[in-house]
Amino acid sequence: ATSRRAKMAASVERVVGEAPAGYTALAVKFGARQRSPHYLLVKEHQLREGAGTAHPPHRTLFVLNVPPYCTAASLTRLFSRCGDVQSVDMCDKPGPGEKEEKLKSKFFNCETVTGFRVAYVVFKKPAGVRAAKALSQEGPLLISTESHPVKTGVKKWIASYAASIVDQEELKAEVDAYMQDYDKKIEEEEAKAAKEEGVPDEEGWVKVTRRGRKPGLPRTEAANLRLLEKEKQKRARKELLNFYAWQHRETKREHIAQLRKKFEEDKQRIALMRAQRKFRPY
Amino acid sequence: MPPTELKVVGSYLLGTCIRPEINVDMAVTMPREIFQDKDNLNQRYHRKRALYLAHIAQHLSKQQLFGSVKFAYMNSNHLKPILLLRPQGKDEKMVTVRLHACPAPGLFKPSRFYPSKNNIRTAWFVEQSTPKEGATEPPTPHYNNSILCDTMLLSHLQFLSSAATDFPGMKDGVALLKVWLNQRQLSKGLGCFSGFMVSMLVAYLLMKRKIVKMMSGYQVLRSTLQFLATTDLSVTGISLVKDVDPSLPVLDDFQQAFEVVFVDPSGLVNLCADMTASKYHQVQFEARYSMEILDDRMVDGFQALLMTAKPMLRAFDHVFHLKHVSKLQGTCKKMQLLSELMDRGGNYVAAALPFIVSLLVRGLSGRALLVVHSLPQTPEWPIDAEPPKHKDVGPLTFGLLFYPDFAASMLEKGPQADHPEALDFRTFWGEKSELRRFQDGSIREAVVWEANTAYQKRLIPEQIVRHLLKLHADIPESSICYMGALLESVIRTGKEASGTGEEAMVSVVRAYDDLSRKLWHLKELPLMVSSVQGVHPALRYTDVFPPIPMKPIYSFHAQIKTKHMLLPSEKKPCPAYITPLKMICHMEGSGQWPQGKDAIKRIKAAFHLQLAELLQQQHQLVCRPAVTHTDVYKDGYVFRLQVAYHREPLILKEVVTPEGMLKYQDTEESRQLEVEIQHMPYVTSSLHGLQQQHPVFGSACRLAKRWVSAHLLGDNISEECVDLLVAFLFLHPAPFTPPSSPQVGFLRFLDLLATFDWKNNPLIVNLNAGLTDADCAEIKSKFAAARSCLPVMFIATPKDRWSSMWTQERPSAQILQRLTVLASESLHALEEQLMDPLKTQDVKMVFRPPLDFYDVLIHLNPNQIPRHLESVDQPVKSFSRGVVKNSTADKILFPVVDYDPVQCYLRELRDAFSDLALFFYDKHGGEVIAVLWKPLSFQPQPFKVSNVKGRMVTTLNDKLVCVPNVEAILEDFEVLGEGLVKSVEARTEKWTI
Repeated sequence: ATSRRAKMAASVERVVGEAPAGYTALAVKFGARQRSPHYLLVKEHQLREGAGTAHPPHRTLFVLNVPPYCTAASLTRLFSRCGDVQSVDMCDKPGPGEKEEKLKSKFFNCETVTGFRVAYVVFKKPAGVRAAKALSQEGPLLISTESHPVKTGVKKWIASYAASIVDQEELKAEVDAYMQDYDKKIEEEEAKAAKEEGVPDEEGWVKVTRRGRKPGLPRTEAANLRLLEKEKQKRARKELLNFYAWQHRETKREHIAQLRKKFEEDKQRIALMRAQRKFRPY
Repeated sequence: MPPTELKVVGSYLLGTCIRPEINVDMAVTMPREIFQDKDNLNQRYHRKRALYLAHIAQHLSKQQLFGSVKFAYMNSNHLKPILLLRPQGKDEKMVTVRLHACPAPGLFKPSRFYPSKNNIRTAWFVEQSTPKEGATEPPTPHYNNSILCDTMLLSHLQFLSSAATDFPGMKDGVALLKVWLNQRQLSKGLGCFSGFMVSMLVAYLLMKRKIVKMMSGYQVLRSTLQFLATTDLSVTGISLVKDVDPSLPVLDDFQQAFEVVFVDPSGLVNLCADMTASKYHQVQFEARYSMEILDDRMVDGFQALLMTAKPMLRAFDHVFHLKHVSKLQGTCKKMQLLSELMDRGGNYVAAALPFIVSLLVRGLSGRALLVVHSLPQTPEWPIDAEPPKHKDVGPLTFGLLFYPDFAASMLEKGPQADHPEALDFRTFWGEKSELRRFQDGSIREAVVWEANTAYQKRLIPEQIVRHLLKLHADIPESSICYMGALLESVIRTGKEASGTGEEAMVSVVRAYDDLSRKLWHLKELPLMVSSVQGVHPALRYTDVFPPIPMKPIYSFHAQIKTKHMLLPSEKKPCPAYITPLKMICHMEGSGQWPQGKDAIKRIKAAFHLQLAELLQQQHQLVCRPAVTHTDVYKDGYVFRLQVAYHREPLILKEVVTPEGMLKYQDTEESRQLEVEIQHMPYVTSSLHGLQQQHPVFGSACRLAKRWVSAHLLGDNISEECVDLLVAFLFLHPAPFTPPSSPQVGFLRFLDLLATFDWKNNPLIVNLNAGLTDADCAEIKSKFAAARSCLPVMFIATPKDRWSSMWTQERPSAQILQRLTVLASESLHALEEQLMDPLKTQDVKMVFRPPLDFYDVLIHLNPNQIPRHLESVDQPVKSFSRGVVKNSTADKILFPVVDYDPVQCYLRELRDAFSDLALFFYDKHGGEVIAVLWKPLSFQPQPFKVSNVKGRMVTTLNDKLVCVPNVEAILEDFEVLGEGLVKSVEARTEKWTI
């Protein structure tokens, strides 16, 4: 055990501050009790092209390897020492900063990212980014402190169990609101379709829909296939088989090729069977 | 005096020798001069014969010619020693030369050995000096037969070789039959159906023109099996005698003296003299069943009949051992079998066996299809050692094969009290028999067996066996070792020592039926409920530990008053785990359903809310709605209702191409939904049906699942996959019969896992007989063509022919390999234990996982493991879990459902570290999470933005590389599982780089 501890100490010494070009390594620990830190790799966020509004350049710190127990709130707390933090965005993997802000629902489509993540910390001023990089000179950052404990383990699970119980009224209200919107949207679409019904556009085309007086075929793949199949049958009925000499030759050739192919397949199968033969009854 | 003649006899000359034991039999004719008059009496012939062989042995052992010279008994008949000679060097295992001594022809007069004649005097046998006056001597047919056999050795050979000339098919056919017998363990030991008898039987069929010389080996096999299946030699014997000679004994004489009769060409010898009727019935049963298999086109008959061994443990539903055969001496005394003993030369095992078996057959008639016994086998011994005694045959094993419907019946109905048979019935059952009045008004003798639960009912045959052997054969209970239900203790929980959960399962299903009825008749729902289908394993009887009705204790929990909910409390141990029993509630299709996927989700949520409200109003059930389901507390169980709309998977699949065409494409989401609302209910209902046909299906399945999870692999193979594997054993049992006890089902499950060739074969489970043999052939050929892109374990069912959905993601090739190894080891260890009654049995051994090859062990705090009581070895200390058993609760606060801290912990671990390590856990009360580092991820890798999770950057050979930050990760294990983890034990150092 002592040897392992020595090795552990050695490994801690060995790696302090190592980081690939452009990055700075920040040691981070869960609490004061833990001995070995994880290393956050941070750098200034750079954009390849265009302008992202969510993660503006110069003010955004790109953080790699955020441990699972580290929440957005704790990152905000950790980096507020370096300047006011505007927002923290956590993702599963680095990606384009622009996320269309859909109207978020409390109950639907809420996926949380877990495990080790990446984060974009947006400071209010560019100086924050520089100050954050300088943190590497100090001791390891602590995620959970006495004043700001982070819940893990049993406490966290109990809390999330409590959170999983939904408030019926709230849910009902949300569903009703959504459905009203949805119904209105559908109604509008229908009204629009009804208005366009039978009216030619500027080039003179008339749109045929399922609802009209003369409903057209639905444009689905299955319907298309069926149509093609029917065509084929029609054509096949018209065609004469084995009428010309070349047709005769071709069918014969095809037949022989088929037989050959089957023969090859059988041979292979027998070879396979022979290879895996395990006839050992005694 | 040198032998007058030496001759090779037997299978070697006929060319029907088969491995593993190649024997060359030689007949040594003893010179006439060494015999005197009356040597036929009182075993004198046998003693001289043994002496003669001993002399030869002594002579041969001095020479360097042979690798070993040993004695053995011919077919374990102790009156017939033979000499075994093996060549020197590496050929020693290859071939054995067996020397049989036989008398010179014409030495004895055949008429002395007719089955009704006596050749052993009682006075001599019991060592009295003067014979009792006026007592008639009993006939000694077996003794006579054993001398006659020797005299006929040469003529039998001639007979067989004349049959085999110009008949190439006979050689193949006899070889096949011998393999067939070997695989069924019928061809060795006292009273076996030996290869010699098979050859004679084929010759008989040839004589009767059932077989002609044109036939191939397969046809010989078929016709012989057909003959065996349809002819009962224990009722009507057969004879090879061509023309009737009035001086010879008739078949009836033989029938009286022997149980099974097959007379040789001379009309004197009964070839099946030592065979018991029960053994013959077993042969007959096997033949009949084999014919069925041969006629069934769905199974590979060759594989089933000739390639699969049928050891007793896997072939019979219950097996029991007679530990000390010496107890059979008492049996002989009690049953007054002196004349039998005389006839068998004092071999009490052979003398008592037929009587014990017929006793059991009578006692178990109606329950057991077949009662068989193992063949006593004496080992060979070196020439300078003492010969083995009768008791050295080892424990005697009996196997029982049940009628599944009647094996567990509690009542033995006897004749009416005033009938004369009543007395017979009473003496047979002893004081267990009592007079009872039945519903039809009759008063009858009857025996009622004590049994409350299904588990105890399965063991009624044990009660019967123990009772009868004690009463009639004087065999104490302590020397019977009954292997019926030793394994079932692992699927029994906690304190209720009685049942194994079948009753609990039935009550769950009853509650479920009631709830679905209520759902159908629910008023005021905007759409009707079109069907309700269960998907939880408990609703198909295969849940390892079925839920028991529970009611929470309020003081144990924290509460949310406003919502009438209970919460787990941080200060108390974790509350008991309550499984939500999931059921799918299909709503009828209607134009009112929206056609957008998000809108459907909202509507479903609205349905969940409304279902909860209506159930509460109309049936006073406590409910807890959520977005994706509604939990209903009913009769102490929690059911999880999930509303389904049958078009939803289709809508999820819709894709519009740029040209505006509508296409259907499988997406991850749609596939999952389809599994959930279509395939899962189908499997559940099919397996529910299977349970109705085979009452032990559920228990066998639960044992199998318990084993898988005990070896920490439960998360690596889906439950449905194990269910289907077990279902396969019941649907395609060939060459066995469908299991009628959980134990035999479990053993065969292990055997299936250990031996099935997943690489080259698909496993086809023909649920509800939905596949024809053409379908099966198609599946097989498509499988062979596309093998490389199919999952390692491929299971096809009628509704899922090509995708093998239950094994698609799990298990991986490595896990399957591990399962195979574990299964074969467990099977081996288990069979060794179950076949050896003299050692102490600890069958739970195969349910304890080896932990030594894992890299890290995370020890857990038992008070936070809600299913701690389910562990294989009952924990010493148990915790209060805040529930009482109760099913009558009306207005209660909703209990804590589906809360298992260990599962939460595992989920977090896997989320965070799945690319670095594998986590193994036994969800049934395991105290340890085992971690295995992935060797590939431990190789240093170049820095990549997407690749730093949990790693740190370091310099190695002047290059920057990423390596896992193991020390920090080990500490993360503790951090993430605060309150649950007791300690983290790193066992290997192989992660140091």
